[in-house]
Amino acid sequence: MKKVMIGDHIVKSFGEGDEKHHVLDGVSAYINEGEFVAVMGPSGSGKSTLLFALSGTDVVDDGKVVFDGRDLTTASENELADIRRTQMGFVFQQPTMLNNLNILDNIILPSLRDNRKNVANITAKARTLMKRVGIAELEKRDITQVSGGQLQRAGICRALMNNPRIIFGDEPTGALNSTSAQEMMDLFSEINAEGTAVMLVTHDANVAARTERIMFMRDGSIVSELQLPKYDGTDMEGRIEHVTVKMREIGI
Amino acid sequence: MYSRIIRNDISKSKLITLTTMIFVAAAAMLVSLAVILVVNLSGAIDTLMKRAETPHFMQMHSGEINTDRLTAFAEQHGNVDEFQVLEFVNMDGARIILGDNSLTHNVQDNGFSMQSDKFDYLLDLDGNVIHVSDGELYVPIHYMRDNTTKVGDKARISGKEFTVAGFLRDSQMNSTLSSSKRFLVSSHDYAVIQNLGTTEYLIEFRLKDLSALGAFETDYASAGLEANGPVITYPLFKTINAISDGMMIGVILLVSVLVVAIALMCIRFTLLAKIEDDYRQIGVMKAMGMRISDMKRMYLAKYAVIAAAGSILGFALSLVFKGMLLENIRLYMGESEHSSSALLYGIIGILLVFLAMMAYINGVLRRFRKISAAEAIRFGNSQGHTAAGAKHLRLSRNRLLNTNVVLGIQDVLARKRLYATMLTVLVISAFIMIVPHNLYSTISSKGFIQYMGIGNYDMRMDIQQTDNISEKAAEVLKKMTSDSAISQYAVLATKSFKVKTLDGTEENIKIELGDHSIFPIAYSQGKAPAAEDEIALSSLNADELGIGVGETMTVVVEGKEEILTVSGIYSDITNGGKTAKAVFPDQSADTMWYVICAELSDPSLINSMVSEYASKFNYAKVSDIDKYIAQTFGSTIRAVHKASYAAILVAIMITVLVTLLFMKMLVAKDRYSIGVMKVLGFTSSDIRAQYVTRSVFVLILGMVLGILLANTLGEMLAGVVISMFGASTFHFAVNPLSAYLLSPLMMIGSVLIATIIGTSGMGHIKISENIKG
Repeated sequence: MKKVMIGDHIVKSFGEGDEKHHVLDGVSAYINEGEFVAVMGPSGSGKSTLLFALSGTDVVDDGKVVFDGRDLTTASENELADIRRTQMGFVFQQPTMLNNLNILDNIILPSLRDNRKNVANITAKARTLMKRVGIAELEKRDITQVSGGQLQRAGICRALMNNPRIIFGDEPTGALNSTSAQEMMDLFSEINAEGTAVMLVTHDANVAARTERIMFMRDGSIVSELQLPKYDGTDMEGRIEHVTVKMREIGI
Repeated sequence: MYSRIIRNDISKSKLITLTTMIFVAAAAMLVSLAVILVVNLSGAIDTLMKRAETPHFMQMHSGEINTDRLTAFAEQHGNVDEFQVLEFVNMDGARIILGDNSLTHNVQDNGFSMQSDKFDYLLDLDGNVIHVSDGELYVPIHYMRDNTTKVGDKARISGKEFTVAGFLRDSQMNSTLSSSKRFLVSSHDYAVIQNLGTTEYLIEFRLKDLSALGAFETDYASAGLEANGPVITYPLFKTINAISDGMMIGVILLVSVLVVAIALMCIRFTLLAKIEDDYRQIGVMKAMGMRISDMKRMYLAKYAVIAAAGSILGFALSLVFKGMLLENIRLYMGESEHSSSALLYGIIGILLVFLAMMAYINGVLRRFRKISAAEAIRFGNSQGHTAAGAKHLRLSRNRLLNTNVVLGIQDVLARKRLYATMLTVLVISAFIMIVPHNLYSTISSKGFIQYMGIGNYDMRMDIQQTDNISEKAAEVLKKMTSDSAISQYAVLATKSFKVKTLDGTEENIKIELGDHSIFPIAYSQGKAPAAEDEIALSSLNADELGIGVGETMTVVVEGKEEILTVSGIYSDITNGGKTAKAVFPDQSADTMWYVICAELSDPSLINSMVSEYASKFNYAKVSDIDKYIAQTFGSTIRAVHKASYAAILVAIMITVLVTLLFMKMLVAKDRYSIGVMKVLGFTSSDIRAQYVTRSVFVLILGMVLGILLANTLGEMLAGVVISMFGASTFHFAVNPLSAYLLSPLMMIGSVLIATIIGTSGMGHIKISENIKG
């Protein structure tokens, strides 16, 4: 299978001198085309840092990050921005929305950058996506006038606007109640089923159990991996059991 | 605890703290300087006038004098304390040589006098009454200031040799604005040179009760005593002494008001940004039950430290600069008796500024009340609904503008309160930039001269202070009539007449008689006098007499009361602004002076014509009108020109500094949205374009408001200044190229540069540090 994203011996540290702390200690990881991957680990294990490193949103100290054959560690700021805008989507734990814009404008924002003349088509696409995630009636609302779950769904719409090759999610369900979290995961599964690769960082076994491969991290290294069959809507309890057993086994 | 919080806070925002402190220091310095100068100036003038025993009422007079009649008047009048008539020999500048310099081209009327023995003393630089010996000459301080001469120089007055023994302060004629200057010689030497010039008399009174000065003036005028010359009273002497330094103090005060405003603006937006930064913390403190007054105290403490440090620095600076600015006052007026208390007043002035700042900060901190603890803890920043203006600007409806431009404008509309601060500063900057510039274009424009009471001719001859003045004027006219090089001329004779005022008292008025239609001036109301029963008044005279166009006034002509109708009112800055024009014939009154104006057939010959007439008629002062204007207004025009450049520089500095600060703060405040933009794939140049749009949008608003304000309020302020010189109506003659193109371009340029530098920190904002998973 073709690897869309490869991280090769990535080193990332914070602090200086004696206080220097390796958050990523020569981590190698990959994501296949259309794959649904999760990264698990305790707080401070380097999960989020790995996500920022792989997506080119943070500069690494050493190692290589290759996306679709392009080395991101040597790419310019502008090239990185172009790649993020056209080929990647992001969903974070806290909804990253701009205060001044209403929901619809927030969703279409990244698409307008290159295609302002086409605003009618872009808006139409956004409305279709909003309908699909169930927030069609909220387009004119300010971001302070909707719930956290609704905002996260708007975030997914925004991530999907430019038909990305991969979506990165950093604890996307972390701030949601279980029903909303469930619905979010259904959405991710649907998107993945349509061929978009998804990489989620989570410490929730229920979330990780939806994916097909889980990387476990501790102290800046990937200590283990767990392969699962593609989720088909059945045997969720068995999958969760699998994940928790593995977590216990490696002491996470 | 406070000191630790304050120290941490200051070390985190060094640049902003420093800038705020500099503005506070500048404001404190200017206020303190203005106060110190006012106290010293008024003190010095009081001391000078007390020591010199300046007359309360002085009538200048040339021609015959009847001293017995004057003495009788003084003895009979109950309010006269002392009375004297001083002689004053007016000498042509060409006859006065000080050291190596001749006063030929000097615009002052120079004269010689003896020391008085009763009052109106001429003082030395230590404030003592000068006792002059034969052969010694004391020179007005004015000529020390402009380095014309120095002590020990040889001087030649009409060939007689003197030694410059020192300089003198003259409580009447010290100021450069007073057109006469008195030199002091011994009575023996005075007798020698007396016949070499024309004698003028200073008829001087000291009154027992100065408050009854108005009544005394009326009594003098109605007694029909000597009155061939201007009257100057004690309050006017005081004003003349104060005016040039007073103007400087006025400018300092005006600038200090603006700087205080800018300091407050700086404090306002640093404070608002800080509150925004600390939003969550404030919410937490509120939730914990901390009192608003306690929280306020923490913020107030920090600004109290900055304001106190700035004020102390400002006071220290004012002590450094005070000597420089006081130099002129000390030189012309001498030491003040209150110089030590001036510092105390300076401190009080600074204290007031400090208290005003604290009150203002306290006002800004009222926002704490509006912060909802729950919202602050949940969102970490102020939420609220998007402002009305921003709602109309939707990305989904925009096809025209670049997305970054829309985002920029939308941000300004959504956070109006935040940008209002920057807007205010830019409005002030535009105002500072445009008003002095417009004032300069106005007073340097050709039309301004007619507006100031001077017609459009090429050559002007002044005949004054000479015997047989009418014959001399006739002699000049005879030559002009036959001179083919002169295409037109007009003779204007100025005579003094008595006018009956509305309350029945009599006043003297100078009327310029002749044909006023040959070289017309601009009338602000009405037209030039054409019939014999018409008169035009300068605006100052019209104001003082309380009459307008179409109304009548009574003038005593050849012993008879004539009713004249006011045909027009004009602006005049010549002869103190109090003039009148009429065409009636009069044979009785003495002519005080003649002005003969001429237009040349070939204006390029002006230089040779001036020298021809000057050598032929040596009693007349012949001037090329352009040179006359340059001499009369040149220094004012140059000063305003310089001031307008300085204003542009100050405005640009303020604009750059404030925009820079503001942008730096915005970037710090907007770290999160910048992170969001970046993660969505907006490049640094995209984001910079948004910030440039914000500042340019605010700038354009600011400039439009600034230009509007400059042309309304600014024009009014400039009008007030100009009216002091006697101009009644005032409108800016704007040079559109510089006012509406160059100035805005300069501002746009500085705002762009400041925005680009101010937002350069944006590149270092890391997505991973500002967006938490």
